[in-house]
Amino acid sequence: MSLAALVIRFAYFLDTSVSYRRLKEAARTLLEYPHSKIKFYFDIFMVFLVVLSVLCLLYEVKHPDESILEWIIQGSLFIFILEYLLRFWIYSDSHAIVIEDYEYALKNNLPFSLGRALVKVVRKKLDYVFSPLAIIDLLAILPSYRPLRFLRIFLLFRIFKLFRYARSMKTFAAILHEKKFELLTLAIFAGFVIFAGSSAIYIFETNQNPKINTLFDAIYWSIVTMGTVGYGDIVPLTQEGMAVSMVLIILGVCVLAFLTSIIVSSFQNKLVELKENRLYYDIEKLERYILICGYGRVGEVVAKMLHEDGNALVIIDTDAAKIKLAQERGLIGIVGDASKSKLLGTLGIEKRATHIICATNSDELNIFITLSARSLSPHATIIARVIKAAHKKKYLLAGANYAFSADETIGLLGAQLVTQPVSYAALEGILSENTGIVFESIFVHEYSFFNRQTVTALSLSSRRLLLFGIVRQDESTCEKYFFFNPADDFVLQPHDSLIVMGRKHAINAFRKQNEKRSRE
Amino acid sequence: MNDALILLFGFSRTALEIATKLKKQGYAFRLVDYDPAALVKAQKEGFDLIVCDYGDDDALESLGIAQNVGFVFCLFDDDVHNVFLTLSVRAIDPNVPIIATTHTKDAVHKLEIAGATTILDPYQITGKKIYKLITQPEVMQIVETTIFGEEDVNMAQLTVTETSPLNGTLLSQYSAWKAYNMLLLGLHDKEFNKEFIFITEGHTHKLDAGDVLVVIGSRSEIRRFKTDFCLE
Repeated sequence: MSLAALVIRFAYFLDTSVSYRRLKEAARTLLEYPHSKIKFYFDIFMVFLVVLSVLCLLYEVKHPDESILEWIIQGSLFIFILEYLLRFWIYSDSHAIVIEDYEYALKNNLPFSLGRALVKVVRKKLDYVFSPLAIIDLLAILPSYRPLRFLRIFLLFRIFKLFRYARSMKTFAAILHEKKFELLTLAIFAGFVIFAGSSAIYIFETNQNPKINTLFDAIYWSIVTMGTVGYGDIVPLTQEGMAVSMVLIILGVCVLAFLTSIIVSSFQNKLVELKENRLYYDIEKLERYILICGYGRVGEVVAKMLHEDGNALVIIDTDAAKIKLAQERGLIGIVGDASKSKLLGTLGIEKRATHIICATNSDELNIFITLSARSLSPHATIIARVIKAAHKKKYLLAGANYAFSADETIGLLGAQLVTQPVSYAALEGILSENTGIVFESIFVHEYSFFNRQTVTALSLSSRRLLLFGIVRQDESTCEKYFFFNPADDFVLQPHDSLIVMGRKHAINAFRKQNEKRSRE
Repeated sequence: MNDALILLFGFSRTALEIATKLKKQGYAFRLVDYDPAALVKAQKEGFDLIVCDYGDDDALESLGIAQNVGFVFCLFDDDVHNVFLTLSVRAIDPNVPIIATTHTKDAVHKLEIAGATTILDPYQITGKKIYKLITQPEVMQIVETTIFGEEDVNMAQLTVTETSPLNGTLLSQYSAWKAYNMLLLGLHDKEFNKEFIFITEGHTHKLDAGDVLVVIGSRSEIRRFKTDFCLE
């Protein structure tokens, strides 16, 4: 068997091995996935370790013989090495690259070259090795290797490791990266000024000034002057030298001013983004939430009631003023266009939004949001507010689970009010719940107190409850049937839902008894 | 009250919904708007519409307010119109029931002061429905499909007459109505105040002529009950 065949076979073996995949997945959960809880704790642990090991290093300078320090340093070094290797491992799936290359060759009838595949694998891994964070990691490890002890200073690089674990530090790096062009321009200018200044002072003063002997002295002097620090250890003695230093000081102030303004302005721009990031981070922490698109009056009413019930909410509206209002009320609000799939995607609605409420005041927008939400999240319950009753069908076509038209309800209530004023009062009471009478459902499960009992046994009238009906789910088809006003000998089954009417406390008492385990 | 006229001010979508329902049940109503453009829209939907400046009290009186008007609906899309109209109508007729819709929270209170009998807040109602749908999805689904929906479960009010066997009985004693596949939701007792009393409140009520029962059930069951007990 050739080497290539062996490698391919091994790659396929890894590809099909469940435990290998699981192991790698576990490592990724620990190190990479931003949502994983364990990564959060791991990050905290690493920050602690980095700080501790640096403190130990500092302590060791004067107390070289403490064995416990050595233990801590060696231990943390071991963990750092392990982390580095783990990251190296999970950065890419080498076996996948080999398989992909091999299958590509098979499909296109080309000869498979093991060498080319391996080059790809190595190149991918080298990508990791030369990524800035990996370099920092490596520099934090290397100086501990005895022959490289002279690199001790690089141990301080461990502090830079903190970049990996702190988001805000990443932002700072991002700012530097973003303003690369401006900073480079400024650096070139400053470099030119320093070069010109130091050569000038070197030429003018080398023989007159005992303190300036080498070009290094000259450069040191010009940087100290330009940075407006001016220690005064080297002072120009000739008139030419003084003239150079005056020019240098003015240019130095200019360079510093430019540098400050570039960074500050960039920070300010980033600040808005940072705040937003914070918001998204808050949302990322929510495991389940209800998304409300549109914080108009309907959105407001729904949000208020849901918030009071302790549900996690995320509100999107294009109007910044409305979002501000929502935020003042302690809700999470995002200024944005809910019809954009990208926004909905970043919010992670496909996994974490249980309900999506489309409550903007435009049918077109609501339908659009319904469609984009449905395409992202097949399981969330989408509830839409219909503006024009004629469009209701379109909502259901777009994938909404429920669509309400306020006009329709008002129309019904209005007509009821005229034709049957008393039943209107009843209906109004039920809908508004102002009277204290509510409709609620009570779920019967395997161990419910009332499981397998008849409706009579519930003795509802003595509990001052009215059984409106029972929803039964067919076990095989999962379809739901509604039994209105079931007969007295109707026997309850698990997974039935009783729809009862009554005062809230009476329903709660009934529910509590239902939750008690049956006597058997 | 079938002969009393119902005035629907403001040709909004809500007005259209109410008008459609009233027309189906054969009630006499008039659609009114100040905007002549509404006339064209109304005719397109198959309704007639009176164009009238509601700011003019004489014009309101000529519509029959304080004479044969039984209900006034203020259904403009603009709260300012609704409040003004409510006030004008209330000034002419202190007794006519005025039903107004509102679009902002502030207007609710203003309409109350202006003298509206019932205020329908579409946003509040939609919001509550959505809330209920999230917290109690099954209940809302049932309420939607039965009471509001197309399924044959209806809510109806029945008035106890002099000749009804129910007249003079105690509600708790009488259980004959249990033989019908319907639920007694509650009642409106003439002797008590205007409020609707839900059956689950558990008071023992003596039924008298004029009391109104509200039941839920299929149309045919309700009809059977109605004829068997001489209700109206």
